[in-house]
Amino acid sequence: MRGSPLLRAVLAFLILALAGLPLWRLTRPGNPPQKSAGAAVPAAAARQRVALALTFSAAPQGFAVRHLGQVVWSGQGAGREFAKELSIEYPPEGVDLEVAVEWPEGAGQSAVRLQLADPAGRQHEKTLWGAGKLEDVVTFP
Amino acid sequence: MKTLPLNLAFWAALTLALGAQETIRVSSFSTVLTEVVQAVGGRAVEVTAHIKPGVDPHEFEPRPADLKAVGAAELVVVSALHLEGYVGKLQQAAGGKAVFLQVGGQFALTPGPQAGAPAGEGGEDPHWWHSIANMEAATRLVRDALSGIRPERREEFAANAGQYLEKLAQLEKWVRKKLAELPRNKRKLVTSHDAFQYFAREYGFTVYPVEGISSADQPSSQRVAALIRAVREQGVKAVFTENIENPKVLAEITRESGAVVGGVLYADGLGEGEAATYEGMMRHNVSTIVEALK
Repeated sequence: MRGSPLLRAVLAFLILALAGLPLWRLTRPGNPPQKSAGAAVPAAAARQRVALALTFSAAPQGFAVRHLGQVVWSGQGAGREFAKELSIEYPPEGVDLEVAVEWPEGAGQSAVRLQLADPAGRQHEKTLWGAGKLEDVVTFP
Repeated sequence: MKTLPLNLAFWAALTLALGAQETIRVSSFSTVLTEVVQAVGGRAVEVTAHIKPGVDPHEFEPRPADLKAVGAAELVVVSALHLEGYVGKLQQAAGGKAVFLQVGGQFALTPGPQAGAPAGEGGEDPHWWHSIANMEAATRLVRDALSGIRPERREEFAANAGQYLEKLAQLEKWVRKKLAELPRNKRKLVTSHDAFQYFAREYGFTVYPVEGISSADQPSSQRVAALIRAVREQGVKAVFTENIENPKVLAEITRESGAVVGGVLYADGLGEGEAATYEGMMRHNVSTIVEALK
């Protein structure tokens, strides 16, 4: 074998020690642990104004529109056309509106057309059908 | 001697009548399909449920007793879409005598990778039952299969299927109403394995699965790191474990991201207690998701 085994051993030890230096610095006591940033809780989508119009094929006894489980509009009385400006959270993913309608007895199969102008001014339309009572969820993009 | 033709006619009629009344032996390899077959078949079926609630269907292997039951069955129902890697064994055991209904194979699939998954991952999701529309289609398939085996009981199967379909329609209404409580920008689902693609497509969710389609898949460290990043960036409040899965990796994700464990979901079929029925399972899953994320 060429060279001194002792010299080779010392050389190997020095190389390992140099490689271990950064590791020691990282793990020595006194280094504060990295804290996770935590989940960035999304801010609730800002409330925005949307215009909603309801047109009934037969005048309802009453109706209610819910957003995120809360009633945002309800009405009753004579008439087949209703319109209102709502202030609701409207994220880019769209909204679900829950619609409940009660028609008078004998009205038969009836419909309600929902026309929504979203915060960007785009028009959307959905129609729901029911006999007597209606409860359904519509999604607007 | 004169009575011989009458006797023969009598015994032939009796045999036919008994055959019509004889129950259809069904072998089911899906907890969800066991319920559907029992609902549609009623007293006309005798179902052997080879996979019990709480058993992981990805890891189930039929034993000799299972294959023996299949050999005696007239109808074998499986989820399909490669969930059961042993269909060939079942077909061999049936020896061509049974009708094989591979339910999932009839549906349009949700292809492709899901959000949070590294490129190249994805594929057919076999968990079709997380869409109620698919359950309705499965009910009709089972009805038609049973009617094909016992045509004289077609009306009975149609009536039973009608009742079950009505239950599913009411469940669908409840699901949509409950989900309407959750803003659409919060519909982000972090789950143990990739079992909710149909649910996501139906109800406007984005899925971030830890593991792949099969619960036997193991996530790479890069995959876990990518998920932690996604949970932070997307502001996902909660992640969900499953009734069959080991929650260690999800625990790591919650520790590093700040999200909490929102609850247990039933992904691979029916469970026990409230999740022992399809309706119970769906109500549990949807309620757990909505309450944890809103």
